Amino acid sequence: MSDLRRRWQRYRRQNRFLVGLYVGLLVLAGAGYALFSRMAGLPPEQLTNRLLTFLLWWFDLTLIAILLFILLRNFLKLALERRYGILGSRFRTKLLLSYLVLILVPTGLLFLLSAALLSGAATAWFSAPVERMARAGVELADGVRAEAETRTVRAAQVIAGRLRVIPSQPARLTELERLHTELGNHLTGWLRNGIPVVELVDPRQRVLQRLAPLPVEALASTGVRGERFGGTLVVRAWQRLPDGSVVLVGEALPEALVRAQARLAAGGVAYEHLKMERPTITATVVLGFGGLALLVAFAAIWLGLHLSRRFTAPLLALAATTQRVAGGESLEQVPLPAEDEVGMLVGSFNSMVLRLRERDEELQATVRRLDTVLGAVRTGVLTLGAERTGVRGNPAAAAMLGLPELARGEIPLEALDAAGLSRLAETIRVAGGSVRGSLTVYPGGLARNLEMAVVPLGGAEQPEGWVVALEDLTQLLRAQRQAAWSEVARRIAHQIKNPLTPIRLAAERMARHSERSSPDLHDVVSQGCRAIVEHVQSMQEMVDSFSQYAKLPPLARRPTNIGELAAQVVTLYQGVRQGLRVELADHSDGREALLDPEQFRQVLANLLDNGVEASPEGGLVLVTLDWEGNETVVTVTDEGSGLQVEDSELLFQPFYSTKGRGSGVGLAMVQRIVTDHGGSVRLEPNQPRGVRAVVRIPGGVS
Amino acid sequence: MMLAAILLAAVPLPELKVELVPSPGRLLVQMTVQRELPAEWSEALAAGAPVGITYRLRLYRNRHWLWDQRVAAHELVVKAQRDPLTGVFTLVAELDGEILASGQVGSLEEAIRWVTNPPPSEITVPLRTEPLLLFMRAEFLTHYKLLVIPSTVGTEWFQFAVPELP
Repeated sequence: MSDLRRRWQRYRRQNRFLVGLYVGLLVLAGAGYALFSRMAGLPPEQLTNRLLTFLLWWFDLTLIAILLFILLRNFLKLALERRYGILGSRFRTKLLLSYLVLILVPTGLLFLLSAALLSGAATAWFSAPVERMARAGVELADGVRAEAETRTVRAAQVIAGRLRVIPSQPARLTELERLHTELGNHLTGWLRNGIPVVELVDPRQRVLQRLAPLPVEALASTGVRGERFGGTLVVRAWQRLPDGSVVLVGEALPEALVRAQARLAAGGVAYEHLKMERPTITATVVLGFGGLALLVAFAAIWLGLHLSRRFTAPLLALAATTQRVAGGESLEQVPLPAEDEVGMLVGSFNSMVLRLRERDEELQATVRRLDTVLGAVRTGVLTLGAERTGVRGNPAAAAMLGLPELARGEIPLEALDAAGLSRLAETIRVAGGSVRGSLTVYPGGLARNLEMAVVPLGGAEQPEGWVVALEDLTQLLRAQRQAAWSEVARRIAHQIKNPLTPIRLAAERMARHSERSSPDLHDVVSQGCRAIVEHVQSMQEMVDSFSQYAKLPPLARRPTNIGELAAQVVTLYQGVRQGLRVELADHSDGREALLDPEQFRQVLANLLDNGVEASPEGGLVLVTLDWEGNETVVTVTDEGSGLQVEDSELLFQPFYSTKGRGSGVGLAMVQRIVTDHGGSVRLEPNQPRGVRAVVRIPGGVS
Repeated sequence: MMLAAILLAAVPLPELKVELVPSPGRLLVQMTVQRELPAEWSEALAAGAPVGITYRLRLYRNRHWLWDQRVAAHELVVKAQRDPLTGVFTLVAELDGEILASGQVGSLEEAIRWVTNPPPSEITVPLRTEPLLLFMRAEFLTHYKLLVIPSTVGTEWFQFAVPELP
């Protein structure tokens, strides 16, 4: 797949290059043809100037087109990347804009300054003094020629005036020779019908002998003309006489003077020519500088783009990798090799990734171990975040609560409400710290008794999460209940069996005496019936006790002044036995406790019953009321023989008695009532003798 | 009469006056520039620099649904230069690179008159059934706008319908 892609990209690149080459050649051919067509009729010097200007124009335009193409392509690409939120597009945009400002502004300013300087220099070069000098050269040539013309014209006029008044030809010739010498002419001639009658030439000016004759017949009657001839300038003036003949006077300027004039004039002409070409020269130079500036800008922009790509590529690869890592994808290293500071950064990142991978693997191993442990333990475990909105659990918790989805992942806490676990959910929601309690749930319609502990993670002030441990006590409670029932059955049988034997013996004795018609039958029947009634009554009392234990009414807790309640009960027991003191030490300071007063009165009565019964004559049964924190502590001490069994817990079991009489439900009722109040009761030896019963009831009222 | 004279004076003359004289297969074109030449052109001529006027002639075939087709193009280049030593103006007229006429005059006015009123040019007119159009202009100088943009100083293009050739 990647090979095909590479081949396709290579094909595209080659194709693009070929198309570009074809278009470029087409443009060049068109431009060449247009150039050839335009320039064919131009003189060489103009062709050179215009060709140079034209080529510079094409060069500049091509560079501008390439620059615009590169910039537009990059800006368009960046705009699209920014639109689609591709990483690094903002950074590259800033970088490109910075490059452009840094390159184009100085280059543009430099170009404008150069163009202004060049334009100013050209203007200064074509300044008035230079122009005056050039003009002066031309004017000097004009002046020298004009002076020669004036001289020759005047000489021709003088000679013509003299010849008009001389009628004979020999006299005219004599006069002509005299005037030629007197006026100092270089050339003096007299022509008739275009043919020289006489032509006098200064021997020092031999060049005039080779001069072609003037076509004076075709010219006006008078005139002057200058001609270049033999390296000098020859000025000839003519004057027509009334008889049709023509007087001709010529003068050849000195060759040195003419050469100097020619140089001056050529300089002036060249200056004028250059002046006419000044706009073209200025345009050529400006275009040249413009091309140079564009070349610099092009090179700088290309280099800037190349460098920005080179600089940003590793950074962008690093940023993309970190973004993927931050997005939760797998930890990966940046593959781009680099050797500079960016390379160090990439290397540090890769080292960090390696360490993170190791930590991640360790963490995953720990999580796997924890998952295995949590999956294997029989204790149900629920975990929640600090917000307590979602809950997940281990398989044991899912089975206990009848919510298999708990083991598959996090579910909202409200799902517990929907599953009938509102009490558990509410306990979790309102827990301000560690909370313990019991819970009965009915997954699948079967009751389960759970022991629950809600514990905050990382401290109760700002918990990072919560853990709920659930212990399934259903089997344990069931076994305890079965054991309790077995014990109850055994003790009931024992309690019932004790009176049955004397009843059976009394009945058999009465039967024997009745069969023998014994004379003391009446006494025997009377004694037997009395014994039977006594034992039946004992059994009746025992059944009443069972009924009372079994029919304890539900708690009706209300704020109760426990001092007053205890005082009432203690008052009932004072004087119940001769020589026995029953006293109350009330340290409750009139505080009230939240309890059921009737049932708690029963608790005090049962404890006092046992104390009074166990205490010897002259002894003391002391009831003490105290507060420890939020708990009411009631202590009943006696001075009896102390505990008779090692395990004091047995004393709280129903129908267990060490007195050999009674129903054995007194302490059992005490424990049940106290437990129903959320409190505790324990029996412990009293010093120096006797027993101390300590009852703790929570929920005090101020 | 006076009003007519004022009105005639107020109407500007065309920059390029053209007279067309048809002959079999050919067309004689006489052009006269009627506008003032640029000062720098005249000054350059007077100072001895070679100057000239390029008369461009374009013959187009009128097409209804397409752009006009150019069927011929000619250039009449009239050059003038003053010899600063002799003060003589040398004049040459070349039609499509071939000398059409030449001459010498002694004054600037004569030289300008010669250049702005060159000898008539005879151009070949291809045989066409469609009407032909002749576009002409005279170019004096090349200037540069904003230092680098070339701009020709000359007359506008004038369009003339080519008369039917005998």
